[in-house]
Amino acid sequence: MAEAALQALQVFANADRLGLLLAGIVGGIVVGILPGMGGIVAVSLLLPYVFRLDAVAAVAVLTGALAVVHTSDTITSVLIGAPGSAASATSVIEGHPLARQGQAARALSAAFLSSMIGGLLGALGLTLSIPIARPLVLALGAPELFMLTLLGVSFAGSLLGKDVRKGLLSGLMGTLLGLVGPSPAAAQVRFDFGSLYLMDGIPLPVVALGIFGVAEVVDLLARGGSIAQVEGLGRGWLEGVRDVLRHRWLVVRGALIGMWAGILPALGATAGTWMAYGHVVATSRDRERFGKGDIRGIIAPESANNAVAAGDLIPTLLFMVPGSASAAILVGALLRYGILPGPRILTDHLDLVYVIIWSYALASVIGAGICFAASPALARLTRVPFAKLGAPVLVAMALGAYQASQEMGDLVSLVALGALGWFMSAAGWPRAPFLIGFVLVGPMERYFVITKNLYGWTWLARPGVWVLAAALIAPFVWASIQRLRRTRPASEVPSRQSGRRVAVDVFLTAWVTAVFVVGAVLAAQLVPGARELPLLVAGAGILLSVAQLFAVFRGHDAPEEVPEPARVRASLLLLAALAGFVVLTEWVGFLLTAAMFTLWVCLRLARMHPGFAVAYTAVLAVLVGRLASLLSLHLPAGRLGL
Amino acid sequence: MRVLAAILTVAAALGLGGSVLAQPAYYAGKTIEVVVPFAPGGAADVGARFVAPFLEKHVAGNPRVSVRNVPGGGSMLGASFFAANAKPDGLMVLCTTSSTVFPWMFGHPSARYDLSKMRVAMTLAFGPVVYVSPRTGVRRPADLLRPAEPLVYGGIAATGSDLPVLIAFELLRLPVKVVLGFEGRGPVRLAFERGETNLDFQFTPVYLTQVVPLVRDGKAVPLFTGGAPNARGELVLRDPVVPDLPSVFEVYRELYGSRPAGPRWRAYEAAAALTFSYGLTWWVPEGTPEAALRALYESVDRIVADREFQERAKSVTGGYPLRRGDQVEAAVRKAMQPTLDVKKWIADLLRDKYNVRF
Repeated sequence: MAEAALQALQVFANADRLGLLLAGIVGGIVVGILPGMGGIVAVSLLLPYVFRLDAVAAVAVLTGALAVVHTSDTITSVLIGAPGSAASATSVIEGHPLARQGQAARALSAAFLSSMIGGLLGALGLTLSIPIARPLVLALGAPELFMLTLLGVSFAGSLLGKDVRKGLLSGLMGTLLGLVGPSPAAAQVRFDFGSLYLMDGIPLPVVALGIFGVAEVVDLLARGGSIAQVEGLGRGWLEGVRDVLRHRWLVVRGALIGMWAGILPALGATAGTWMAYGHVVATSRDRERFGKGDIRGIIAPESANNAVAAGDLIPTLLFMVPGSASAAILVGALLRYGILPGPRILTDHLDLVYVIIWSYALASVIGAGICFAASPALARLTRVPFAKLGAPVLVAMALGAYQASQEMGDLVSLVALGALGWFMSAAGWPRAPFLIGFVLVGPMERYFVITKNLYGWTWLARPGVWVLAAALIAPFVWASIQRLRRTRPASEVPSRQSGRRVAVDVFLTAWVTAVFVVGAVLAAQLVPGARELPLLVAGAGILLSVAQLFAVFRGHDAPEEVPEPARVRASLLLLAALAGFVVLTEWVGFLLTAAMFTLWVCLRLARMHPGFAVAYTAVLAVLVGRLASLLSLHLPAGRLGL
Repeated sequence: MRVLAAILTVAAALGLGGSVLAQPAYYAGKTIEVVVPFAPGGAADVGARFVAPFLEKHVAGNPRVSVRNVPGGGSMLGASFFAANAKPDGLMVLCTTSSTVFPWMFGHPSARYDLSKMRVAMTLAFGPVVYVSPRTGVRRPADLLRPAEPLVYGGIAATGSDLPVLIAFELLRLPVKVVLGFEGRGPVRLAFERGETNLDFQFTPVYLTQVVPLVRDGKAVPLFTGGAPNARGELVLRDPVVPDLPSVFEVYRELYGSRPAGPRWRAYEAAAALTFSYGLTWWVPEGTPEAALRALYESVDRIVADREFQERAKSVTGGYPLRRGDQVEAAVRKAMQPTLDVKKWIADLLRDKYNVRF
């Protein structure tokens, strides 16, 4: 085995092969940086080119790209607050506040180092688990997979924030949105409103970009100034490295969680990242800083999202059951070379398996190195007045979202969810539970239905279910024991019955209540099998949101920080401009709209010199056109065909 | 030079002589965009991307071929996109599976495309192999009526590629408990390996690579295939890739002593033809110039003769040949337009047993 591993390493002694691996890495880094674009885009982009290569080189290029997407996506998440890919939204929550506090360098170096170690641990785990993975994957049946999704949901419980009701409402909203699309149990499409676009559900990248990215960028633009709100870049590079060393076990735990989320095809990359994040928050004693820029909240998820892709290779290679679309494309590529994933790959193509593992490890190191090298320059972007960057960032986000299904629906959802995300942020609602609910409700319902139909009630007697149930309950038991020991003063929670009634809060709560009511009415009309979960979610949502509505009206539960009216007005204007962006795109096409929007932002928000603004816009338009043709991205053409 | 020489050789072989050179090829310097109405990574996407470079190589004029995924609406979005945007010039091609055909067949309101107004450019087959766990005590198809433990089948959705197999269960009157809701054929196979289900089917490439090792270890027993069409499009032949297994047609005859007939059999034939025999179909709009159609048809002959294609097709498609549109179009249309009683029978089955409403 060791011999085969070393032999595979010699493959990279060849300059051409190493060059190709580098090409894959650079491709992966670029795609990772572009907002909302993840592994699928990277692999499908490289696929046409790799088919001209031999199998080893092709595999090296694709694996190299897959390994680094989740390293470079952090750059966008931390600096701009728009998730570089759906799986790095956690770094928006923790990393972006650090960038605002002028600690972008620290956040980035901690993230890259964790990503690199996560990737290496993933590669190591991949090597070690090859002999035992098969029996382990086969030991976990539908009931255990269902329990694992429940475990993921319970991790979300620790992310509810101080105001539990708002956190729960946020999670229920995400869950309701995740229920849009085909029901796994009954052949019925839920909440599609007769639209083809909604029939398959809203794509995850669009949701992540909308809820986090649009909301963040709008807020930045409305606030004015630069991303970093304090002077000095910070000598954070070394500090980030020290952070990782101090929290080395978090890196390992994150990698383990990520790997397992990857190995079990039911969960997926995004869920693995969130589970690692929830795990950190749940196991930390001091939770004060989470959500405001806690380095621990970057380290574990960043380690996890790189390990996920490595873990994902196990079912892909050993069972030919890819856990993600990008792994599925890798299988397609392998098949083309006559290489058959499955039990026999270890005897027939062990060399290639090691090429994959080495590519993964090498790419993790090289990719992190490149990102490190590029970041001082990138971190300086946080000093530039954001109005100058805002337009290209929003255009790139729209471009990224549109690649999800190439439908105007992608842009409509992006802006609508962006507005929702902005209101949630302004009213102090946590957004993490939203995304977790959205991501996990699908596999949870699917495996519950399959479990129920296959096992009846006997699934409750399975030992694996008991073990997972214990893991599910343990944190709560632990917390209660801690509480009993510590006799804390009853009035520890500061009273926030300030009597203030905050407009955005009132509006958001009323709107959310209405959504749950409509959801319940629509769910009641679905067939049995499709309607139970939506009814449950909408019902719980109505109860909670009505209670919240009372609290809000009586001035309880006001958000800690209320954005000043001028900022609210500026944000609402921007959201309206984005809505206009969508309408205009529908008619005159993406490029012209993007140009007009950029010009507007440059003149109105950045207050650029008109001549300079025109030149800036022209350069951006040319760049977008070039990028689109280089990456073979599709742009909406517009009804007028301009 | 080698390409030119190859073209000359093929042209000579086809008896076209110098006429090919006199007229520039229709596709010379052009790009064919293949619209795949599914997300990247699925079976249809893998198939379309597998064939694309061979089209570049063998369509006269060597056009560039790019694959474009337009997923959504269970493939109706991409097909509607094609119907709205494709001009009759052969430069945009739609690549479908039965998931695109069934909603159109049953008049789904969102199926804004008319397959009867499109021409078949080429098709590729996918063959299913049905197998059971030895725990069921089933050794031969005849044992299926008296299994030692209840038969449990795992599937994705009644309206997708499971449909012909579900119809086959009805046709053969097998006592099967059907559990739907899995996210793909791979997870279904894992559930079979775990012993959660004991009756399953996989397409031939997966069967040959993943299930045959299980058969060798005594963990799976192969039973029958979907069958293959004869010249008249009747599914009475054995699957050429797995010729040692009987077809559904033969199993029925063995169990019930007569030729299968009636709406059940014709429903099975239609669903199986669309899902399996013509599982992947490349379409161009009606009115596409003859020159374009001919270039596509003729490329099929050259692709099928290509050693590299034959070699690689074994692992991607199981080794079924690509078929020329002009040779299969009549059979595809026949399967797509079943008689009213057959349509009604399928719709009733889906509604009564699987709660599907069209």
